[in-house]
Amino acid sequence: MTAYILNLLVLISVYAILSTTLNFIIGYAGIFSLAHAVFFGIGGYTAALVAMHVSPEFFVAIPIAMAAAAGTSLLLALPALRVRGEYFVAASLGLQVLAVTLFSEWKSFTGGIGGVIGIPSVELFGYPVYKPWQFLIISLICLAIIIVIIRTLVHTSFGRSLKAIRDSESAALASGKNITVIKTLSVVLSSSLAAVAGALYAFYMSFINVESFMLDTSVLVMAMVIIGGTATILGPLLGAGLLMLLPSALTYLWFLPQTEIGSIQQIVYGLAMVLLMIFRPGGIVSSHPGGGK
Amino acid sequence: MNEPLIPVQKHSNPAPDSGLTSSTGEQEVLLEINNLSKNFGGLQAISDVSLSLRAGIVTTLVGPNGAGKTTLFNMITGHIQPSEGDVRWQGESLIGKSPWKVARGGIARTFQDLRLFTHMTVEENILTMMEPGAWLWQLGGKSGKARRYDKVDRILERTGLTDKRHTRALDLAYAERKFLSLARIMATDSRLWLLDEPASGLDPNSYNLFLQLLREEVKDGITVCIIEHNLDIVVNISDRIAFLDQGKLLADDEPETILNDPTLAAIYFGER
Amino acid sequence: MLFLQLLANGLQVGAIYALTAAGFSLIFGSTKIFHFAHGATFAIAAYLFHFALAGLGMHWTFAVLLAAVSAVVFGILLDRLMYAPIQRHEGSFFTVFVASFGIGIVVQNLLGSVFGRGFMSVATPLSNSVEVIPGIYLSPLNGLAIVSAIICFAALHLFLTRTFVGKGMRALSENPELVRTFGLSPRRLSTYAFALGSLLVVPGAIFTAAGTGINPAVGHHVMLISLAATIVGGIGSLRGAACAGLLIGVAENLAMWKLGTQWSEAITFAILFFFIIFKPSGFFGRQTVS
Repeated sequence: MTAYILNLLVLISVYAILSTTLNFIIGYAGIFSLAHAVFFGIGGYTAALVAMHVSPEFFVAIPIAMAAAAGTSLLLALPALRVRGEYFVAASLGLQVLAVTLFSEWKSFTGGIGGVIGIPSVELFGYPVYKPWQFLIISLICLAIIIVIIRTLVHTSFGRSLKAIRDSESAALASGKNITVIKTLSVVLSSSLAAVAGALYAFYMSFINVESFMLDTSVLVMAMVIIGGTATILGPLLGAGLLMLLPSALTYLWFLPQTEIGSIQQIVYGLAMVLLMIFRPGGIVSSHPGGGK
Repeated sequence: MNEPLIPVQKHSNPAPDSGLTSSTGEQEVLLEINNLSKNFGGLQAISDVSLSLRAGIVTTLVGPNGAGKTTLFNMITGHIQPSEGDVRWQGESLIGKSPWKVARGGIARTFQDLRLFTHMTVEENILTMMEPGAWLWQLGGKSGKARRYDKVDRILERTGLTDKRHTRALDLAYAERKFLSLARIMATDSRLWLLDEPASGLDPNSYNLFLQLLREEVKDGITVCIIEHNLDIVVNISDRIAFLDQGKLLADDEPETILNDPTLAAIYFGER
Repeated sequence: MLFLQLLANGLQVGAIYALTAAGFSLIFGSTKIFHFAHGATFAIAAYLFHFALAGLGMHWTFAVLLAAVSAVVFGILLDRLMYAPIQRHEGSFFTVFVASFGIGIVVQNLLGSVFGRGFMSVATPLSNSVEVIPGIYLSPLNGLAIVSAIICFAALHLFLTRTFVGKGMRALSENPELVRTFGLSPRRLSTYAFALGSLLVVPGAIFTAAGTGINPAVGHHVMLISLAATIVGGIGSLRGAACAGLLIGVAENLAMWKLGTQWSEAITFAILFFFIIFKPSGFFGRQTVS
């Protein structure tokens, strides 16, 4: 039972990193990305490769994974952020679809459909970390650091610029803000922090394949942000917790057909998204109830 | 746009405070619009407009709805690129420049629909105007920050928004929102203000505060171009009036001349 | 020979994409609603057609009618019950998109739970392929899909240029302020746009159900393609969406010739990226103003 709970907690904190970093661009910058799982995946695959071929040291693998994700996100951000918001949604969707194909076809990097197996345990200054509770502590620390970074950023002038762009792009332009650069920076930052989640996930599972990095994951993370509450610190954490607990909670409902749990889970969060948008667009932890974005 | 015309209040001093009515030919030309045209898929929104805005002068753009006044603003600020013609700012062409570059060059504007940063507080709305840089932190360190906050204090006081400092723009009353949109451009240190219907819908008290604010700014050397239907503004603080109709500049002259022209008056009043 | 075969398949698939994309583009153009659940409409029409034909054994005319009615009703209901309340408070692009996306997820999973997750297709006498010239297999459905797409586009063109409501819709997509002077309420026009846009998915849904087959994710897939087609064609341009749909259908099939099936979606999005980088306004798009 403890093992089960520990496992769930590690996964929740990994997904909380994903939802927190996605909230940074959705909630504060108003950039709607459906490609977050791509950066999660790039972080995972890169960290796995580095650990297997270079060094399993945490402070080697994580920065390389972050750099790889940052580089890829530039490929998305540079063309797609020059144009209107609708284009970014489409482009990120496109990147997600392309990436899934690449993840399953580029065998030397990702091991194809079979995935990467036998990822060595990560080392922290040379000490191997493999026990679940050790992982839990590391991922909670990473989550905390990322929350602090994002919280600090949104209270600086950069954060104000992001929010200004979110609230009115044309007025932000008219106040001298180079919105392309500001948005690009925020996407790069969010993606490289998402790669941390990917690296942690790869080390924890010691096996990864494309299944974890598909569109469904991007949608799940998006749902966590939206259901929890955009533009708040607490919202995405709550969202991650709720949606990760949902499948286990559903298994307790004996009257539901167990083979349909996956579907029911998706129906629940799909409906939650619809109802929240109608009645409480700010999400559960709404910074301003009644109002929307 | 359908709000009632605010009754003309005749001021005791008939000459506008900016006091430059008679000498418009001598000031430096800040902004020069040459043969500007814009068509949207066949619809000619602006055709062959030439107009100069001189330093320290208040120019009011009048004309019926759909005359192309806002489109003209949009082309000056780079929000829309003209089909033909040129806009020169202190001698340098603005064509092809993106709006943020134009803004940093010293042209500030308000929007008819305000476009406040709705989910940010009043203070944040003003602060962010002083922080155009895309860096993660602003340059200038602690003293720079203190200076910015001082300036916010002054602006809040002058616009009567001190009490609303931490209120979100969304939760302000209508007149307060309009003042916030002015407060935002006061924060920018721009030389030219383009105001899109800044006084429409203001109650008489707010309107007087607005006039006072505008006069002070003009005295401090701000050049203003206003789109306004309110006849009081047209009569009392404008140095020049540019009359647009169906995308064409019909006249560009001193207020008396325009107001005494029966054809223009017919178009102007016919619209109401 | 394979080339010709794939080209023929591509034209059929392209015709279906073109219609769906045109529907999305029509709705987006005249209401500014990013109707991602358009794919759900497609899936519902396809499944109900299949169910009526194979499950209930109805005559095909009734099955087509059922599909058409359900698509239109679903579209209008979404507009009235979901988009209208959202737009009443603020209805930014973001809120509308999330709600629409949520409905897409719900419909996909409901269809999966009710009808099963496997691929299914209904055989009609028209589905049988005949070897037209050696090596090229065509079914009457191939031709029928293309012909009905052409008819739909012609009808749509007539509607938009000749009728009062059609002209209103075009005006709305070009200049929302014009519409009030037109004397039409935007709310009414929005209903028309949803009805018409949803109707346009029906031929595609039917031909997919009777041809290549459907699974619950079909709506999602078609929506991704339509979205790409809408942007490649230029947002707001029906002609563009149609051409782009056709282009993508053909490209996707020709990709199989050289690369293999798994690359077909990737090719679509490679085209999309190409356009976003080099010509963001699309084939026929107007300049985008933010």
